Amino acid sequence: MTNQKKRSGTFCGRTRREFLWQTGGGFGGAALASMLSEDGFFDAKVSGNEQLNANPLAAKPPHFAPKAKSVIFLFMYGGPSHIDTFDHKPAMTGMEGKTVDVKTFGRGGHRTGGRIVEPRWDFKEYGESGKMVSSLFPNVAKHVDDIAFLHSMTADSPIHGSAMLMMNSGKVLSGNPALGSWVNYGLGSVNENLPGFVVMLDPSGGPISGAKNWSSGYMPATYQGTVFRSEGAPILDLARPKDLSSDVQRRLLDSIQESNAEHLAARQGNSDLASRIASYELAYKMQTTAPEAVDLATEDAATLEMYGINNDRTRDFGTRCLMARRLVQRGVRFIQLYSGGSHNDANWDAHGDLEVNHNKHAGNTDLPIAALLADLKQRGMLDETLVVWGGEFGRQPTAEYAKGSGRDHNSYGFTMWMAGGGIKGGMSFGTTDELGSRAVENPLHVKNLHATVLQQLGLDPNRLSYFYSGLDQKLVGVEKVEPIHEIIA
Amino acid sequence: MTLSNTKTSSIRHLVLFLAVAGLVVMLGKSSFAQTDRSQPEVDFARQIQPILAKRCFACHGPDEAEGGLRFTNQNNAFAEAESGEHAIVPGDVDASVLLARITSDVENEQMPPEGDRVSPEEVELLTRWIQQGAPWQQHWSFKPMQNPEPPTVQNAQWNQHPIDAFIYTAAEKAGLKPNGMADRTTLIRRAHFDLTGLPPTAEEVQRFIEDPDPNAFAKVVDQLLETPHYGERWGRHWLDLVRYAETNSFERDGAKPNAWKYRDYVIKSFNDDKPYDQFLKEQLAGDELDEVTVETLTATGYYRLGIWDDEPADPLLARFDEMDDIIMTTGQAMLGLTINCARCHDHKIDPISQKDYYSFLALMGDVTRWGQRGDQRSNNQIDVSSEKLNQQYQDNDAAKRRLEGDIRKIEQSGIVKMSAPDQRATEGPKRDRNRILKEKLQDNLSQDDWKKHKELKKQLADTLQQGKSLPQREMVMGLAKCKPTPEQTFVLFRGNPHSPSDPVDPAFPGIFESPAPEASTFTGTDKTAGRRRVLAEWITSADNRLTARVMANRVWQFHFGRGIVRSSNNFGKLGVPPTHPVMLDWLAQQLIAGDWKLKDFHRLIMSSRAYQMSSEGQPEGLATDPGNDMLWRFNPRRLSAEEVRDTILAINGSLNREAYGPSFYPMLSREVLAGQSRPGSGWGNSSEEDKNRRSVYIHVKRSLLTPILTAFDFPDPDLTCEDRFVTLQPGQALALLNSSFVHEQAKRLAKSVGGIEVDDKELIQQVIRNVLSRDATEDEIARGSELIQTLQSQDKLPRQRAVELYCLTVMNWNEFLFVD
Repeated sequence: MTNQKKRSGTFCGRTRREFLWQTGGGFGGAALASMLSEDGFFDAKVSGNEQLNANPLAAKPPHFAPKAKSVIFLFMYGGPSHIDTFDHKPAMTGMEGKTVDVKTFGRGGHRTGGRIVEPRWDFKEYGESGKMVSSLFPNVAKHVDDIAFLHSMTADSPIHGSAMLMMNSGKVLSGNPALGSWVNYGLGSVNENLPGFVVMLDPSGGPISGAKNWSSGYMPATYQGTVFRSEGAPILDLARPKDLSSDVQRRLLDSIQESNAEHLAARQGNSDLASRIASYELAYKMQTTAPEAVDLATEDAATLEMYGINNDRTRDFGTRCLMARRLVQRGVRFIQLYSGGSHNDANWDAHGDLEVNHNKHAGNTDLPIAALLADLKQRGMLDETLVVWGGEFGRQPTAEYAKGSGRDHNSYGFTMWMAGGGIKGGMSFGTTDELGSRAVENPLHVKNLHATVLQQLGLDPNRLSYFYSGLDQKLVGVEKVEPIHEIIA
Repeated sequence: MTLSNTKTSSIRHLVLFLAVAGLVVMLGKSSFAQTDRSQPEVDFARQIQPILAKRCFACHGPDEAEGGLRFTNQNNAFAEAESGEHAIVPGDVDASVLLARITSDVENEQMPPEGDRVSPEEVELLTRWIQQGAPWQQHWSFKPMQNPEPPTVQNAQWNQHPIDAFIYTAAEKAGLKPNGMADRTTLIRRAHFDLTGLPPTAEEVQRFIEDPDPNAFAKVVDQLLETPHYGERWGRHWLDLVRYAETNSFERDGAKPNAWKYRDYVIKSFNDDKPYDQFLKEQLAGDELDEVTVETLTATGYYRLGIWDDEPADPLLARFDEMDDIIMTTGQAMLGLTINCARCHDHKIDPISQKDYYSFLALMGDVTRWGQRGDQRSNNQIDVSSEKLNQQYQDNDAAKRRLEGDIRKIEQSGIVKMSAPDQRATEGPKRDRNRILKEKLQDNLSQDDWKKHKELKKQLADTLQQGKSLPQREMVMGLAKCKPTPEQTFVLFRGNPHSPSDPVDPAFPGIFESPAPEASTFTGTDKTAGRRRVLAEWITSADNRLTARVMANRVWQFHFGRGIVRSSNNFGKLGVPPTHPVMLDWLAQQLIAGDWKLKDFHRLIMSSRAYQMSSEGQPEGLATDPGNDMLWRFNPRRLSAEEVRDTILAINGSLNREAYGPSFYPMLSREVLAGQSRPGSGWGNSSEEDKNRRSVYIHVKRSLLTPILTAFDFPDPDLTCEDRFVTLQPGQALALLNSSFVHEQAKRLAKSVGGIEVDDKELIQQVIRNVLSRDATEDEIARGSELIQTLQSQDKLPRQRAVELYCLTVMNWNEFLFVD
């Protein structure tokens, strides 16, 4: 954790807006605005639109020395039950079926009490830290000493649509850039041949609201998440038509570029033309580098086995976890993997049979996640890779319906965890009450989580801003938000 | 270039001016009182404010007010600080502690406490400014508009058109000389894309080049303004501003029925040359005007375009979020003002208070939410069916009711004869009643009555059938329900809807210095509160300080690629100042004088040399003003997303030019649909013909935007977009090299020029004519032919494919994607 009071790394230690004020740009310097925008840091909305050609994804210096270079966000879409996974509630033992007074708010609305559904899985101590983990995650449990559990998470909404937007963009309204877009904007990409923000979906489908979850909102689309597929060409339109060889494509490209060069020669002082010429070469390179990045053929048998790629249950998520590791190795900044997609029990949204649902999704992901942590660690990458696990909210201690074990949504208290990337291992932060119904000690907001991610990447969450609609917009909002200092090593 | 079109009022105005040309008026002369006139006048906005911002704002600015002092506005800057001293005392240098602190040698008194000292020149300026009475001039855009006369310049060519005189003057001051005229090939291509978003055909180019008429260009402009494609192109600019989309976003991203009628309303308004003030009035208060028509009701769809959460966690907050969305859009799109920044606290930079925000909100106090989860139509679907159709529906209803009554009477006459349990069963669920009637009614009726019953049943069935076959009721999206008596509006503490503080009445933001409207002027209908009409009239009044400036600037921006004020949605202090402030006021006055009609305004702008200038680079310009702030050249540009797609369809002849109507769904690939939680949900199938329509008619689904459009910077439709980004990312290259859409279109292009039936030379000539509206050079023919031959001989591709690929390459040329 750096303690620099001076703001470094931005414009002469100032934020962009401050810099503009202090150079008079906000009041008198249209020319300056255009100069700054070439840096990619200045907002093109203000500067007009001609300045984004200078590769907005070029790597940019962070605000201070980063702890993490990349983030892998394992998004457990639908909302896993914290009290059945990592937030052990011994006091609930023996309470099955008991009616209790407890305030809850989920898709079923506000309630003041209900029938307890006792956690369905046994908990066991793991690691030196002695962390209690349920039998849903026996493999992840082996890594508790590398993990910081956040048990007191809260969010503004217990409804999927708005809660997904909140976890991904910090706001319950659509139209705002995703966390990955902010990272992409703040740091650029160190590998120009790959996108800086990659999203990998569950085979059952996208999450609700689809692309809104990885949208760049009011920022240029350059910063939006790129969906990578685990089969076929990873990116839309990346593969050339089947009847064209690489040679043919190169020939076509050469022909295009020859005409472009001639066109450019007659138009000096138009850098857009040169940029577009360059973008074709980049596109051409991407056709080789992107498929290579996600081609698992070069991975050895032990690795494939470790990620569970040889097993039907874990093949899909294991493949995507391994792809994520390969992308991190190639400098991709932010990778989001969805566990679960579509609707109902195709994701963690266990309204009906809790056991069937969570056995399925935990069973599909436990081994691959553990493998990812182990693999990153053995390669010395975990220190620089921040792994985040969690859903858009947790689940209630009480039953949703008169019968059955299904739990409704709970945004008053739930668990997420982080590992690597300069996060302390073997610790738990914050608590929920005896039933896990709400956060009690050290309550955390989604914004604190976002602030921590930015902080670890070397970006000051209260400074990283983008001027839109008359405001310096920030991922964490206008009020100052603290990262979770207690879990930062 | 002489003025070629004198039929318009703005041009008349202009001619009048030309008659008095030669009169040079001192512009921008300030009128504040001064206590010292011996020294040159200090310009606050240009010379003082930047110093304060640079040296002081970090601690005494919008975010911090150390010692109780901030320099963001006059009141705070002149107020007594916590120390009991005054930083600035107008006219009194000795009492102004600011000067003492910035010049102090004592370390713990010095300001600023760290960083560079204030330079001697800056100290001198500040001193002189305080001596002169510290005039704190209003921000330029908050002052009433001037009615300036254009300057006269010593250059015959640049003195013929007022715009040119303004441009030449500014360029000359910067030591620059604007470019000469663009050639006709360039000019017609520029005008076609600008006004219609489509390229000229090679024939149109040729005709223009050969036209000896000095009014040739004006004729082209007139023709283009008369095609429906003009509204499609310029209406789309407006749709960006009002964040037009056809779904609600969030989990279900449900469709907004009839949203496309609002889109058509916008396109048609442009095509009809509807005065801009009327256009705004209809959108803001189309249900409250003297003459309410289907068209004006459709315009109120404006209020229904935003995102809408059908199950918000906090419904009260959601209601205010929705109003904020409308205030943000109205403030920025119509007034160039970020009123939205004052939702939670007073605007930090502009003089807009939180009270202003909620008073503005109260002006729209009768606007209802889009709907509720259980009823997503009543508030937003207005029945505008014809009287005849209404009558038919009414008649049908009446007949149905009468028949049902008669039938029931007969049934009841039989039921009374039945056993008690049976009678009771007929009072229960319909299913039970029908069962009893089926089994026992006949036995309990006379033969006549039974026959009559059967007859009536048949008539009822016929009537129901008739009802079903009536034409559908015609609905439009808009304000179908309002609150005639809106609830009291309060200032919300920190914007929290659960913490109301002071009550406020409807009023205009204080900076406009317009008196708050009297409640008696709110003469709504029985369905509305009458406030929005007052708002609409205020926004469109000729003396509103921002509306005309903002629109004049927008039109300029879309013609020239950038506004006179670059931040066209933000004319406040955080916006970018105008490069040509006097010309902006002049243009705004022309707009008003021309009855707010845009077509004349386009003619005015496009008839200038400035518009017809070449976009070529020149060493001095590139060195001194690379950003082209002084407009020494025309700004070349990349085609917009819609232009890219539409042009690809146009050049192979497959563009379906039919205007207006419901939106269509282009084909989306499986991998794109896979991003949805229910792949394919909310995406329809359109006929091949519809799929060839212009992009402005593509269904805008918030969570599923069309990839070929987003690749070329189609904006996120959740928030107002003043000016699209223009990126040049590799994804665009991939889309134009590999997508199945582009390959299909290349195939069509090949076919349209004769395919394998013609020889290389003829083919290449025709392709280049179609794609670039010009003749191919010998070199291009040679190179193209070589490519086609190599693809066949070396790569062993069939000629058909080789020809298609050649077509594809030309569609990837920069010349195709850029307009000079």
